[in-house]
Formats: sequence, structure tokens, C-alpha cells
Amino acid sequence: MKAIVDGSLCAGHARCVFEAPEVYELDDLGYNSTTIDPVPPGLEDKARRGADACPERAISIQE
Amino acid sequence: MAGEEQATEELPSGQCPVVQFDHHEHMTREQSQREWAERREQCPVAWSESHGGFWVASQYDAIAEGFRNWESFSSSRTARASGPGGDPGLNSLWIAENPMPTVLVPEELDPPAWEPYRRVLAEPLSPRAIKRDFTDSVRAHITRLIDAFIEKGECDLIHDLTSPLPAGVSLDWLGFPEEDHRRFSEAFHGISAYVTGSPEFQDIMVDVTWMVGRIEEEVRARRENPTDDAMSQLVNFEIDGEVIPQDMALGLVTLAVGGGVDTTSSASSSMLMHLHFHPEDRAALTERPELIDSFIEEVLRMYPPARTHARTVVRETELGGVTMQPGDRLLLSEVSANFDEEAFPDADWFVIDRFPNRHLTFGMGIHRCPGSHLARLQMKELLLQVLERMPDFRLKEEGLIEYHSWSSSSGYIDMPAVFTPGPRVGTTPS
Repeated sequence: MKAIVDGSLCAGHARCVFEAPEVYELDDLGYNSTTIDPVPPGLEDKARRGADACPERAISIQE
Repeated sequence: MAGEEQATEELPSGQCPVVQFDHHEHMTREQSQREWAERREQCPVAWSESHGGFWVASQYDAIAEGFRNWESFSSSRTARASGPGGDPGLNSLWIAENPMPTVLVPEELDPPAWEPYRRVLAEPLSPRAIKRDFTDSVRAHITRLIDAFIEKGECDLIHDLTSPLPAGVSLDWLGFPEEDHRRFSEAFHGISAYVTGSPEFQDIMVDVTWMVGRIEEEVRARRENPTDDAMSQLVNFEIDGEVIPQDMALGLVTLAVGGGVDTTSSASSSMLMHLHFHPEDRAALTERPELIDSFIEEVLRMYPPARTHARTVVRETELGGVTMQPGDRLLLSEVSANFDEEAFPDADWFVIDRFPNRHLTFGMGIHRCPGSHLARLQMKELLLQVLERMPDFRLKEEGLIEYHSWSSSSGYIDMPAVFTPGPRVGTTPS
């Protein structure tokens, strides 16, 4: 599974790291532009939840 | 007008109704909620002829798009040709003219000018920085504020707690002396509470004018003699090797002060009010503390401190089925988006574990509230200490008074409460 983060859409709400701190990471300004490939085994549900939480819909999951 | 029959007619395009709608009028929360529900039901975007005419976006998707598409929907006061300082009729807070002379930075800037000012605020207010640099200060402020009334068994939750808390946290961080804190918080409280131009509003403008003068004084002092506080960092940073101009420095500090004070207070006091009227949610938090974060998100959805923002159209754009022209004004409603059934099933119900909860309370897109992480921290720490130290608090409902205006801000003027008295716990005076 891949979690593709579109940095041009990220507005720094930080809901992804709140839901899934083991999966997502923010830069020093609090934004996310790092695609997770592959999502570590066992963290798929967390990754999905982090993507769902994003108000900007900046994260897409590729199974 | 609130409560009156809506006179609607079709535009030539046949797509969008013209509505009698002026959110700036005096109205109660209930009336405002009902007005937005009517707007939402009718169409995503309507046209109001009040204030020289403006578009009203009332459905989630159109509002989110309005916030995100900064290339079409400008936040700048100079979006239409005008003199230095721009046109106060084009502010990003209100459709009506904003009496605050200061251009808010970076909120009222578009890219590319927006970018360096956003960076300088984003770094100290990132989730990591907030956790590292603010947690102790927030806890200490809350402890000190509760200590001041805990032995009495009564307080006003707004004036004694939720209003001085964010003022203390923000103004300490920036470097304003403690004697300024209360008058700043009361000034912002008043400007949010009253109808523009009303006698109460005119009274509070005296404090607002004083505050604007104090901000200017402190900004000037930090530019001449920088210290190690956050204000010195903000007002002396350089873009391409040059220190930012004075008016940008003022706008930046004014935003940092104003953005975080009455907004955080409003969300926090609404949160406490909710617990008074919903004992089942208070019991749920006590039994299942792991619900606290989703509870706070749902408070933010249902009680957004900023109800609306405004934009100016700068290029022909379609939004919600209508075509907008350069120069048109557009009202975007956070509160209407948050109650849209299409985006939030059972939107009128408080769902303590709602997920996902992609509310618009902090806005969307590039101007997303830079203080959102600090606001969340303050709400959570406040909730934890209130549940621990005054778990049986209840409001004196006859003393609960709501804002006179629900146009751009939500909140309550007074919120007296009683509880079983308890001991002070703070050891050091601040």
C-alpha cells in the first residue's frame, strides 16, 4: 500500500499525524509532502484513517 | 431580514436565486443558524443585494473551494484598484467595511507576498513547536486562573477563565507586559460581541483604539531594540536581505494578537457551555477520557468562533453553478459548511466520536488558521483541568448572554457558573 501525499494541497491541518503518527510526518513548518511507499505492514488501517481525516483531501491511498 | 419571508427571483442565468440576506444584521444564534439552513437548502451559492451586492456560499463543497482557490478569490484589500493601504471595504473578515485600519498579515495578503509572512508564523506555531514550547505555559496559566476563583465556588467562565487564558498565552509569547492582557482580551471580546455601529460597539472602539496604539508602541520599540521575545523575531525578520516594512510588522503582530484571543475564548466557553447542557457528554468524557480529542473536534464543528470570511473575485470563475466576475465580493460561511448534511450526517447532532470530522472551523487552503494547533492545546488542557478541579460546575443560565451579532463571530458575552469550592494548587505567583 502507498499513501500519496500531495504537498500542493496540504494546508498544515496536521490531522494525518494526529490519527497516524506512526505513518505520517510533518516538516518544520508543520506541512506534509512525503509519500509513504510502502506503508509499513500492519499500519494500513492507520494510514487510511489519516487520509480520511485530511480536510484538504491531500492524501490518496493506493492499495 | 431574519424571520421574514424570503423574496427570491431568478437571475438571468436561471441558476441562482437573489435573496434578501444580510448576515451583518442583529440576530440571535438561533436566527443565524436558521438563515444558513435556508440558504443551504436552496442552492450552493446565492446573490444578496445588501452592502452593494455579494455572493453567498452556503454549501460545504462551494465554501471549501472558495477558501482553497486563492487564485480566483483574493484576500487582499488591493484586489480592486485603490490607493495605499487598499480599500477597507475589501477586507477578508467582513462584507461590510471593517473599522480596523490595520491590514492583517498574512491573512489579507495573496501569494507571492503571503508566503514569507506565513512561513515566519508557521514555524513557531507548528504542531511540534506548540507541544514543545507552549504546553507548560498553557498549563500554568490555567492553574493560576482557576486558583483565583476556586475557593469561592463561583466565577464567570468567560471573563475569569476562557478570555484571559488565550490573551495571557499569546501576549506572553509575543512579549506584551501583563498589565495589557485583560484590556486586550476585553477589547477583542467586545468587537466580536456587538453589532457594528451600535452604542456598545462605539464604546469598545475606545479600547480598540488604545490597543492599536499599544501594538504600534511595542512594535516600534522591538524594531529599535530587539529582545528575545517572539514579537522581536516577527517584526525584524528579513525578506531578501531587507527587514520587513513597518506596516507589515504591525499587521503581523495584530494578526498574532487578534487571531488567537477571542476566537479561542469563544470555542472554549462554548465547550464548557455544551457540557452544562449535555450531562451525558460530560459523563462520557469522565468514563472514557480517550474521547476528549474527538469531543473537541465536534465542539469546533458545532461552535465555530469565526462564522464567515470574505473574498474578492479577481478572475472569471464558476463556483457552485454560478459565474462570478472580477470585482465581485464573496461570503464564505464556515458555520454553514459545518452544518451541511451532505458533509456531516446528522449535522444538527453532537456526535462525540464523529469521524471523519473535516470541519471548516479553521478555514481551508493557504490561510488555514495558523494558530489552530495552539487553540487545540488550550482547549484540551482547559478541559482536563476543569473536569478535574470543578467537575460539577454548572451555568447560572439566567446570566448566560450571547453575542448581539452572529455575523462573523460566535460566542457569549457572559457565562456565570457555580461549582463546589476547592483548594488552590498553584505554588508560584506568576
